[in-house]
Amino acid sequence: MSHRFITSARILPLAVAAVSLMPPPAAGQSAPKTAGAAATWTAPRTADGRPDLQGIWDFRTITPLERPRTLGAKEFFTEAEAADFEAQENRRQNRDLIDPKVGGLNYPAGGVVPYNEIWYDRGDKVVKTKRTSLIVDPPSGRIPYTPEGQKRAERRALDEKNTQLGHPIADSWEDRPLQERCLMGSNAGPPMLPAAYNNNVQVFQTRDYVALLTEMVHDARIIPLDGRPFGTVPQWKGESRGHFEGDMLVVETRNFKRETSFPGSSANMHLIERFTRTDPDTLFYEFTVDDPVTWTRPWSGAIPMSRIEGPIYEYACHEGNYALPGILAGARADEKAAAEATRKAVK
Amino acid sequence: MRIWLGLAIAFQLGVLATASEAQVSQARRTADGKADLNGIWQALNTANWDLQDHAARSGGVVSLGALGAVPAGLGVVEGNEIPYLPAAAARRKENFEKRLTADPEIKCYLPGVPRATYLPYPFQIVQESKYILMAYEYAGATRTIYMDQAPPSPSDSWMGHSVGRFERDTLVVDVTSLNDQTWLDRSGNFHSDALHVVERYTPLSADALTYEATIEDPKVFSRPWKISMPLYRRLERNAQLMEFKCVEFVEELMYGQFRKPPSK
Repeated sequence: MSHRFITSARILPLAVAAVSLMPPPAAGQSAPKTAGAAATWTAPRTADGRPDLQGIWDFRTITPLERPRTLGAKEFFTEAEAADFEAQENRRQNRDLIDPKVGGLNYPAGGVVPYNEIWYDRGDKVVKTKRTSLIVDPPSGRIPYTPEGQKRAERRALDEKNTQLGHPIADSWEDRPLQERCLMGSNAGPPMLPAAYNNNVQVFQTRDYVALLTEMVHDARIIPLDGRPFGTVPQWKGESRGHFEGDMLVVETRNFKRETSFPGSSANMHLIERFTRTDPDTLFYEFTVDDPVTWTRPWSGAIPMSRIEGPIYEYACHEGNYALPGILAGARADEKAAAEATRKAVK
Repeated sequence: MRIWLGLAIAFQLGVLATASEAQVSQARRTADGKADLNGIWQALNTANWDLQDHAARSGGVVSLGALGAVPAGLGVVEGNEIPYLPAAAARRKENFEKRLTADPEIKCYLPGVPRATYLPYPFQIVQESKYILMAYEYAGATRTIYMDQAPPSPSDSWMGHSVGRFERDTLVVDVTSLNDQTWLDRSGNFHSDALHVVERYTPLSADALTYEATIEDPKVFSRPWKISMPLYRRLERNAQLMEFKCVEFVEELMYGQFRKPPSK
């Protein structure tokens, strides 16, 4: 998928909303096993004897990050429940079936449904583990917000709603999410979480480095494996260090510049990611995040990523960003119209 | 018969392999026996200011003074001549005159090939056998070089479509499907969407490569021409590619006109 024009304005709030509906992955420390994986299968090795993680991996899924409240304590679907959930969710998510006048999904009534279904490549299946959320810990499947974190999440939700009603907060580009500015991809994280489209990552592996190239937005995270210490320079996607523990690649990331594309986090976020090949076509991805300002405790998610042929094409976001000037100019036009209306009313 | 033929081929291949190994024994090797180009590399020249021979000159932004000036440099173009067609020569002159507003580097746009190589920022080669990732510090640009099976290019793009192979120890990359939005330097040298670049990366020593690029574009140039330069390994002990996400440095320039004015 290479939707240069979708950079925009409105898909980004959508993408974030989609993420916030996604259930999270399984517990960080547990040995990942996809359902039905043969216990005897061992991952192929690189010439250096490391597990071979190379390839292009797809993390599309309609499993929500957080478990829908209606599912209560239910951690796993049965096959039949999963099929039901998929049928309902695929109908619910279908943008072409939402009447803007009535609203639906995260679209308020009377707003706009800015992208129709053809733009989406979110997948139509739940995760292979049949978990009901991508969050695997806490067992509630919900993000353990602090009051401060909760406040920020609510503010974000309100801004999304206002945006969809045609009134984004847009005094300056700095008011807009990082994805709309093409600074960070909506799903690239770190940690990586599925969003509206471009849910693909290519893993490159040499003796000294692992590189993660996320399609959104052509971002390469190059991770040294030589045990070097962390530096002190904050960066948008933080600074990552990796090592192998048996069959598992463990990547630790800190030194974030501020929040990442990962909604709600602060610069203090500490991230551990784990990558394990569990069968020929699965790269099991787990993450644990900790940020005491935002969350009351560390929490973890898991996504079994699936091998695809690829390739990943260039997603030139900034170069085609017609949306951001449009959003800002639209806000100025609204203000002008409002001032004009006030002037007339005063007369 | 078949057996003899097989043996003969095996023998010939063996001889060839031995000969090429002898010639390249000094280069670092990957596990699959190829020249090992992994590392963080950087050009140390003034090609990004001007590909051709040039004296030092003012940068044109009065407030930047010496800081914005263009350093003098010996060109990287073989024969120092860029063979523009007449109409293209006029366009290049025009580009030069408006370079302080028209150079796509100003807007933090993806740099294209070959310019990505000699921008004044490092880039990293991550070399595995089927793919080579080239990650550039400038704008977080990346491209993937297909070493095994290359898919067809779906459309033109900023960084193009790169298909690579080794000729002995030289990585040869054939780059096509480049769009016409990038420039070759800050002096207005340009190309069209008919650009075809053949790059050659050859180990010169453990810590240097020779980079050569043949540039062909029948809409702009009367013949193919070539640039070459050394690339140097960044030898700092924890050398790493840093982020230069320059989008945030160009937003005021690009969108400032749409910012909410301060209330009166």
